[in-house]
Amino acid sequence: MNYLAAFVMAIISYALIDNVVLSRFYGICSFIGVGNKVKSSLCMGAAVSFVIIMAAAICYPLYNYLLVPAGVPFLDTIAAILVIACLVMIVGLVMKKFLPGLYQSLGIYLPLITTNCAVLGVVSENIASKLDFGMAMANAVGTSAGFTLVIFLYACIRVRLEAANTPKAFKGVPIALVTASLMAMAFMGLQGIGV
Amino acid sequence: MTLLWSLLILAGLGLVFGVALVLFGVLFHVQEDERIKEVEKMLPNYNCGACGYAGCRQMAENLVSGKETMVSKCKPGKKDKNYDPIVAYLAAHPDPDGTTHVPKI
Repeated sequence: MNYLAAFVMAIISYALIDNVVLSRFYGICSFIGVGNKVKSSLCMGAAVSFVIIMAAAICYPLYNYLLVPAGVPFLDTIAAILVIACLVMIVGLVMKKFLPGLYQSLGIYLPLITTNCAVLGVVSENIASKLDFGMAMANAVGTSAGFTLVIFLYACIRVRLEAANTPKAFKGVPIALVTASLMAMAFMGLQGIGV
Repeated sequence: MTLLWSLLILAGLGLVFGVALVLFGVLFHVQEDERIKEVEKMLPNYNCGACGYAGCRQMAENLVSGKETMVSKCKPGKKDKNYDPIVAYLAAHPDPDGTTHVPKI
């Protein structure tokens, strides 16, 4: 029961308090690049979530039951990159087959999930903090929920901003960056909540 | 010993993921117009984006479907090396219903 409570608390903490985009500044590339349409932002969130959760689930046994017993724990980064690249390729293939329109609209940002630091960040944080499997999965689920939530909110704000009368110098990306910083400040308000 | 294990583990992982990717590639194979691949090969493949599309592949798709009528929108392309072969190829390979989309130079 205690473990279950800790699991849920860890998910909330990783999703909101230590939000991956707004307080750890991982995954900014796809956040800015795809966060201008609500639908593609949600799909990007789903694709990144899938890759994060699968990568965490595969890398944990890979590190603890293969690399450590073999005495080569320093291979963690390159092994994680192999896992992530393979997963992203699979997501791309599946999406091209079943959701070709979405595949077009995500464009270059879909293969770029490979280099999305949110994914590698979760995996290497799990290894560095020596989390057990449950907590590692909590980190993965929380981080991906936080990423999806924030990219969705950001896309909603940006869609609304396109209709707003912004000064000419701020149109487009500048006002989007200001929006992101204001969102980061809002999420700072959650820091210090002990869970 | 460490060296041996590193080599073995990385080679093993590469093999496993390679086989997995081939399996998924076969499983989720998408039937595509083979002319797109041929036209893409005849483009310079710099993926510079000067034509206004995301890359050479998108340019090739639009040339084959006839949405793009100017092959010279490809700025780094040369007339004898790229434009002429593409025009000749598309003139010789019509759509299944017989219509041709021959781009202008």
